[in-house]
Amino acid sequence: MTPNYRQARYDEELLIEKAEKREVEDNPLPESIARNEAPKIPDLPTHKIVRYFNRLSHMNYGIDTGFYPLGSCTMKYNPKYTEKLASLPEATTPHPYQPEECSQGILEIMWELQQLLADLGGMDSVSLQPAAGAHGEITGLMIAHQYHKDRGEERNEVIMPDTAHGTNPASVSMLGYDLVEIPSKNGCVDLEALEEAAGEDTAAFMITNPNTLGLFETDACQMAEIVHDAGGLLYYDGANLNAIMGKTTPGAMNFDIMHFNLHKTFSTPHGGGGPGSGPVGVTEKVSSYLPVPVVKEEDGKYKFDYDLENSIGRVKGFYGNWLVLLKAYVYILHEGKNGLESATERAVLNSNYLRKKLEKHLDLPYGELRKHEFVLSGKKMKDKDLKTKDLAKRLLDYGYHAPTIYFPQLVDEALMIEPTETESKETLDGFAEAISSIMEEEKELIEEAPKNTAVGRVDETKAIRDSVLSYMMRE
Amino acid sequence: MVEGEENEMLEFLGIDDVEELFKDIPDQIRTDLDIPEGLQEKELMSEVKSKLKKNKDPDELVSFLGAGIYEHFIPAAVDEIAGQSEFYTSYTPYQAEISQGMLQALFEYQSIIAELTGLGAVNTSMYDHPTALAEAVLMSARIKRKGNKFLVPENTHWENDSVLKNYLRGKDIKLEKVNYGEDGAIDREDLKEKLDDDVLGIYVATPNIFGGLEQDVDFFKDLKEDYGCIQVVGTNPLVLSLMRPPGEWGADIVVGDSQPLGIPQAYGGPTVGIFACSERYIRKMPGRIIGETEDSNGKRAYCMTLQTREQHIRRERATSNICTNQALMALASASYVFLKGSKGLEKIAKENYRKAHKTAERINELDGFEAPYFNNEFFNEFTVKTPVDTKELYGLCREKDILPGLPLDDKDKFSSLNDVMLTAVTEMRSEREVEQLIRSLEEVV
Repeated sequence: MTPNYRQARYDEELLIEKAEKREVEDNPLPESIARNEAPKIPDLPTHKIVRYFNRLSHMNYGIDTGFYPLGSCTMKYNPKYTEKLASLPEATTPHPYQPEECSQGILEIMWELQQLLADLGGMDSVSLQPAAGAHGEITGLMIAHQYHKDRGEERNEVIMPDTAHGTNPASVSMLGYDLVEIPSKNGCVDLEALEEAAGEDTAAFMITNPNTLGLFETDACQMAEIVHDAGGLLYYDGANLNAIMGKTTPGAMNFDIMHFNLHKTFSTPHGGGGPGSGPVGVTEKVSSYLPVPVVKEEDGKYKFDYDLENSIGRVKGFYGNWLVLLKAYVYILHEGKNGLESATERAVLNSNYLRKKLEKHLDLPYGELRKHEFVLSGKKMKDKDLKTKDLAKRLLDYGYHAPTIYFPQLVDEALMIEPTETESKETLDGFAEAISSIMEEEKELIEEAPKNTAVGRVDETKAIRDSVLSYMMRE
Repeated sequence: MVEGEENEMLEFLGIDDVEELFKDIPDQIRTDLDIPEGLQEKELMSEVKSKLKKNKDPDELVSFLGAGIYEHFIPAAVDEIAGQSEFYTSYTPYQAEISQGMLQALFEYQSIIAELTGLGAVNTSMYDHPTALAEAVLMSARIKRKGNKFLVPENTHWENDSVLKNYLRGKDIKLEKVNYGEDGAIDREDLKEKLDDDVLGIYVATPNIFGGLEQDVDFFKDLKEDYGCIQVVGTNPLVLSLMRPPGEWGADIVVGDSQPLGIPQAYGGPTVGIFACSERYIRKMPGRIIGETEDSNGKRAYCMTLQTREQHIRRERATSNICTNQALMALASASYVFLKGSKGLEKIAKENYRKAHKTAERINELDGFEAPYFNNEFFNEFTVKTPVDTKELYGLCREKDILPGLPLDDKDKFSSLNDVMLTAVTEMRSEREVEQLIRSLEEVV
């Protein structure tokens, strides 16, 4: 197999470099605050700017370009009908403070989405406010914080397994909690370790299920029992919900709080880093703590409810990333009950198929049966004095985005692969063939990769050393 | 999907039924979905369209609402650029070599924000203005280490308050209020009185929630030199094309929302939280940052940088938990700024200023009205004192399809501001529409 991918390679100077010094004339602001010199932004004809960005887009790889098996990120095909609907003026124009009677369509969709998500998570109620997964996590922890506070309990610890996503520990410490990380046993939560860690200081226990190795935590209910007995709350990180939808729910596992990643499970595009959306679902026990406003229905009219008894208040301005919410709603409506369940099944089938194809070439620690993703070890690369990173870079030459690398940390030289349900067998076979081909290649070819991308291997150390974070800082 | 390939795949795995891949999920927690069956694309389009049509037709509504979200004209090219699927269907650019397009576009965004704010270090976005402010307060505490008070003037957005309170849970940082004066600007005496060694930072909003601009900005510059507290400035990026950059008058961190630069109102989201800071503090910053570097051939290239600050590397010692941000909106904003150019931005800003001032004058001429109620310099938004109950007036104007401004006394924070509303006038409002507003105000009173 030959690596025949070719990405466009333009030498595009920054537009900002073309700016010229200019004075602001007739500035209406008072002299004490009036700018004399205009900001250095170039004045260029429209077609030049359109061409510039068009060329930049040719130097970028999206799911519309090819296979993007980035583990934990759920890069599935993003349907075009959601984009079309979310660009209608009825969706994009309304002002957030316009009267509720003028926004009945939006409010109805938000209300329905709250109900749909509650059902998909086995939760009782949902807030659509958080703008991303990590934002959902911290919102969930704020809810737990207020819940314990109202009960007069000072609980300062949050427990999680060592396989947790980086956002989990970061959210925990942002709220001033102490992190208690428990080691995994055979890749899953060690119940004995959890039992030992849980106690009167436990505010919450956070996991994702299936976990980041792609293994289903079969003891989820026992974990819930241990943590509940200790008086703590259970938090479900919804990053991997796409592996169980239609099969089980966090609610069925007795979890109290969860977030949904609409930009993963519900197929809204990732936008090169965002916007996402991370609604939070809760069971009745803590539903009065949700951020406000939530949308409620009264006699066929939809309105914001600001009167939740114990609400933590706001976590974001306005009501969440509405256009992302709309796209997820549209996706759920399109897929429906059967569509969502078969998406889960195909995602898990694709993952296990590719896992079995690849375990011939790379090591697979921790058991065979995986859910939507799996983690391989690239330690075989060491035979050639190479690393997982080199393998990842060489994959780019074959026209595949690399998997997530070096995570989870408990796997040496980890490659975390999530094919998603929207990829065909042919794509998976091609990817497996590329890996097999790279494993046979000469060291130099791999070491010098990538060759077929817009630029060669990027010097990240220099980027840190120079720390040029804007054109202004270059000078 | 290719018909029949699932069977081939099952066969390869040596199983008959896909259910076998779920046998590790215990029976007692198995559940079924209780949602409707899916719709075909054709039915879906009409179903969702008919729901959205239940909104008031935006073309029939003349809105003077602002308070953080503003209606500006967005050139068609912005949608085309941000709608390139190589951009919007990509993930965070972890693999720099194959993601140069997004990386370079985001570096342009950072460079634009640096030009506008006068601060060189910019991240690729926070969720929005309130969350950017919350992160700025947390960052102030990382920089200062000493002190546990952060001063927040009362002339700031009510939505900030609750977000701030939540982000500071569990941290030993107290928020202390500072009054505003008769002109709606920060009460400097009160501010000075509250400044002591325990203060780690202050927030200065200009424009403030009343649309007013702080005029004696050198006061803040001196203040910083005298007290050494971190100064966080909240602003509107459009006004920065006319206003002295906060970086020149003492701001350590600038926050705001780039929504006025090419992002639709979209019921409040997604927008772009602006986060810029002094180059001194780059290692304390939250969020994704793009840096300039070279590739193995010495060609200029871009990549995410200073990642050891971030959650995926530093975990519980990260500067923030933020992962997914608002990158595509940052790109859209950058394309808007380039399409307008420096001259175009300045022209729009001036037009906003002129129209808003003209409208305020006209309202002020009406019997019983006072505009601006807070007598201070403003940009495109101002307060109006109305001779009748604001909510009543709002309702009556609404019947005429005009939204004259947001009743401020409706908000708990400003309940004492009887019969005061907040009115925004952007370049979108035509002279005819302003006349409509004036006539309606006259009629309802």
